[in-house]
Amino acid sequence: MSVRQTLVLRVNDAEREVRPALHDTLLTVLRDELQLTGAKRGCNHGVCGACTVLVDGRPVRACLTLAHTCRGAAITTIEGVTGIADRLRSAFEDANAVQCGFCTSAMVLVAAALVAERPGASIEEIRTGLSGNLCRCTGYRKIVDAVCAVAQGTGR
Amino acid sequence: MSALKQVHFPKTPEEAARLLARGDGVRCLAGGASLVAMMNLDLVDPDELVSLAEVAELKGIASLPDGGLRIGAMTRHRELETEARLAGPFAVLREAAGKVANPPVRNMGTIGGVVALADPAADYPSALVAADAVIELASERGRRRVPAREFFVGLYATALAPAEIVSAILLPPAAAGVGLYDKLARVAGDHAIVSVALAVTRRPRGDLGVGLAIGGCGLTPVHRAEADVLLAAGALGDAAARRAGELLAAAADPLNDVRASADYRRLAIPRMVTRAVARAREELGRLG
Repeated sequence: MSVRQTLVLRVNDAEREVRPALHDTLLTVLRDELQLTGAKRGCNHGVCGACTVLVDGRPVRACLTLAHTCRGAAITTIEGVTGIADRLRSAFEDANAVQCGFCTSAMVLVAAALVAERPGASIEEIRTGLSGNLCRCTGYRKIVDAVCAVAQGTGR
Repeated sequence: MSALKQVHFPKTPEEAARLLARGDGVRCLAGGASLVAMMNLDLVDPDELVSLAEVAELKGIASLPDGGLRIGAMTRHRELETEARLAGPFAVLREAAGKVANPPVRNMGTIGGVVALADPAADYPSALVAADAVIELASERGRRRVPAREFFVGLYATALAPAEIVSAILLPPAAAGVGLYDKLARVAGDHAIVSVALAVTRRPRGDLGVGLAIGGCGLTPVHRAEADVLLAAGALGDAAARRAGELLAAAADPLNDVRASADYRRLAIPRMVTRAVARAREELGRLG
């Protein structure tokens, strides 16, 4: 029997009481306990990037983060992110940067953190910043275009 | 079904080491980038975890009174790749940090975790050997220091004793010089096919101190004092670089794996070394 323990997580500015198994990842808790399914389970070992969420404002792999190590941290998912992310959503729409959509929520979160940290980021910085997120449709060019539009202020 | 029954959150390195002594099934959890991936893949199934997340002493980079640096074991790759104090020859470590995996993983993974795991394809081991860094270890018996050049002893094997943790990486006072880390990989962020770590110090009398190590080409970083001496004596010239590269290629014991064959790696080592040495020579020239 898995050992479960009660834990309070701060997700999208709200305190949420959950009861994950000790080995459950943040991704499992977000998706299966909190029904926040914007973070996707792709490879489940840190390679594909589809599970990426923000912990204290920085993108991390939810699949490599044990939920019980997140006490005290501020977790932001695509369901709760605002500000730059809203401009990114419009830019992704304008650039047709979404195909199957599986990578999109993580792409938007990683881009939001990148633009917040480095306004005016160059295309090289944006490519490097997004390099840990795989697009299974290989639609990278439009994704980079969308992020460039927001970073360099050329989008709407 | 996971065997995991308890996760501990010690506050000091000594407390963490004491908890590790509870049994073979107790594992140390640093950033999680490797251990949690292995747990997800059912490659390891710990009974208990000792998280180092709340050990304050392991966080951050401190300047030492002698001018050296103390890098806490829980320092993330992201902090190292942007650390201005990793200058001169120690830029080798900054460049290596910036080439680990990808940005989100660099926000999670820690230098202590990489050092303790000792994956031969990882980026830090060769950089730490080139920089002649010292690894500080903590246990209930106290602290001890092991040079990086003696710390990595085999495939995922280190000088760590049971119930001992990596507490810090120590660097001597920074001298004038250059450091660089170059990596041949299939795609950005992949493990190295071959990596070259080079740290060059210009001593007060004007002669050079050189540390050169190869990653991804054997069970441990490949380092030969003769190659360092050759490069220093040859003032980082092309002829010396070729001979040093050939020496290290002969000393390497690379694997055939999905990334490249052993033969390919042996061919790549001298070329990578020549390229790295040329860049170091150029940067050193710019220092005046």
